[in-house]
Formats: sequence, structure tokens, C-alpha cells
Amino acid sequence: MIQLILFLFIGVALLLSVGVLMRPRRAEGGSTALVQARQALSTLQSGLLPADMVARVFDRRDLEYVESQGSPELRKLFLDERTRVALLWVSRVREQLLSLREFHAGSARFYAQLNPLTELSLLFDFSRLLLACRILQVFVYLRGPYAAPRIAGATAAVAAKVCNVSQESLAFLTPAYAAAGANRAARTARF
Amino acid sequence: MDVLQAADDLRRRSLINYPRPLDRLIYLASMRDYNTGVYYHDGLASRYSPEVACEAMADCHKEAFRQLVANSLEEVVEQLEAYMASTHTSPGDFVAAWKGLEPYRVAVPVESDPLAAQFLFSTFRVALAILESRLHPSPAAAPAA
Repeated sequence: MIQLILFLFIGVALLLSVGVLMRPRRAEGGSTALVQARQALSTLQSGLLPADMVARVFDRRDLEYVESQGSPELRKLFLDERTRVALLWVSRVREQLLSLREFHAGSARFYAQLNPLTELSLLFDFSRLLLACRILQVFVYLRGPYAAPRIAGATAAVAAKVCNVSQESLAFLTPAYAAAGANRAARTARF
Repeated sequence: MDVLQAADDLRRRSLINYPRPLDRLIYLASMRDYNTGVYYHDGLASRYSPEVACEAMADCHKEAFRQLVANSLEEVVEQLEAYMASTHTSPGDFVAAWKGLEPYRVAVPVESDPLAAQFLFSTFRVALAILESRLHPSPAAAPAA
């Protein structure tokens, strides 16, 4: 009798496990994750990564102009200000990349048609970029905004490429879809 | 289409009097209601509609902001100096007021990118310090020839 109960228990447990595994999976965060990914992509592409913006933040001609004024106080003020802006740029790029990576690691496969190789390559690129951002943060913090211009330029260029791949995977997410998602998210947040 | 026409109209009739991006930024910010963020321009609104005029002014404001952000520090200093001269206030009072009140903070368009806005504020702080140093030059801080 005890054996029968044990077998029945194991059978029910197995059936439940199979049921759980075969249940249609829902994306974590749903439309909110989509909207956040879209916003991160837009912030990166239109605000943080345009080449002219990056060039302005790390423009050496501004330093040369300040140095031509011949005041050490002005030079210090300028370097402090530009270091603060450069650190803000790196931290915002990192923040948006993290948000995008989270989407690709969690929800993207439920919406986008990316092949596993592209997904893996994208996740590798994200990790590489996040590491580059950390290194750049340390350099800028310790040695100022002009310490690693090549890392800054390369980080922005690779990030722009990753954004393009990410954008292709999110191409289905039209502004109308995003707006509908935002409305759904707002309604959900209200309850 | 109307908005593009209105913006073009605004550039030809009003903004032509403000050749520098800094002057345009301040002029357009002054046409915006601080409480609602809505731009008002009677002439433009009567030729088009208040909504179209508002949108056209917002577009021109963003354009002036982008142009100013793209300018080098040297160009911003020159524009600030020219703007200061156009206000007919004493340079000392002008620099003190701008350093204390930071009026440029309310001159940026509403939807401007936070990094670009912070970058511009930072540029203004340095530009004001440069102008201030010219008002009170110390022997060690004489500009290089």
C-alpha cells in the first residue's frame, strides 16, 4: 500500500513537472521591458552615442583654449567640469547598455527572431562594452577626461554597432506598439 | 507641413535678428510660459495657429540648443561676451548675476537630452569663469599672446 502511494506521488510529481515545463512561457516584465529597451536604445542612439556629442565631450581644443588663458585656476575648473561630464557620459552609457542587455538576456527571445549565435554574440559584445565602460570610468576618474580618448572613441563606436544589431531585433517594435505598451504599463502601474 | 512653414517664417522674420545660437536660445526661452511650457508668439499664431506657432518655436528652440552644444568653448565665450555687451549691463553685474542665478538652466528646451544639457551648463560655468578672469586679471593669469 505504501509503495502504491509512493508511486502515485512520484507519478503526480512527474506530471506536474512536465506540465510546468510545457506551459507557454511569458516574457518577464512584458510590455514594460519592451518599452524600457526601446527607451534605452533611443537614449543611446540619439543622446549619448552620436559622434559629434562624443567628440564635444572629449574635445581637446577646449583644453587648449583654456590653457591659452594662462590661469591654473581656470585650467583646474575646466578639467573638473569636463571630468564630471565625461563620467556622467560613461555612467549613462553603461546604465543604458545594462538595461538593453537585461532585455536581451531576459525577454528578447520571446519577441525577436534572433538566431542563438547572434544572441550569444550580442551578449558577449554587451559584456565587453560594460567592461570597457568600467575601465574608462577608472581612467577618467584618476587621470581626467583626456586620459583615454581611444577607449572613449572605440567604446562609442562598438556601442553604436551593438545598438544597430539590437535595433534590428527590436524592429517589430514600432512607435505605435511602444505607445500601446507604455499605456499598458501605466495601467498596470496604477493597480 | 504648416509647422515647417511656420518655423521657416520664424527664422526669416524674427530669428534673423538673433544671429548667434545663444541669443536665439535665450529669445526663444523667453517666449515660453514657465508654468505651462507653451510658447507664445502673437504674429506667428495669427498667421498660422497657436498650436502650430508653439510647435514651430519649440523646433527652433531645439535647433538653437543643438547648435550651441556643438559650438566650442571658445565660441561660447565669444557669444556670451557679445550677449553681455548687448544687454548694456556692467560686465561685473552680468557675470555675478549669471553665476548666482544660473539663468541658462531655464533656457534649455524641455525635451533636451540630460547629458547635452549638463554639458552646456558646464560649458557656461567655465565660460563665465573666463569672462570673470578677464574682468579681474591677475599678473599670473595674463592671456597668452
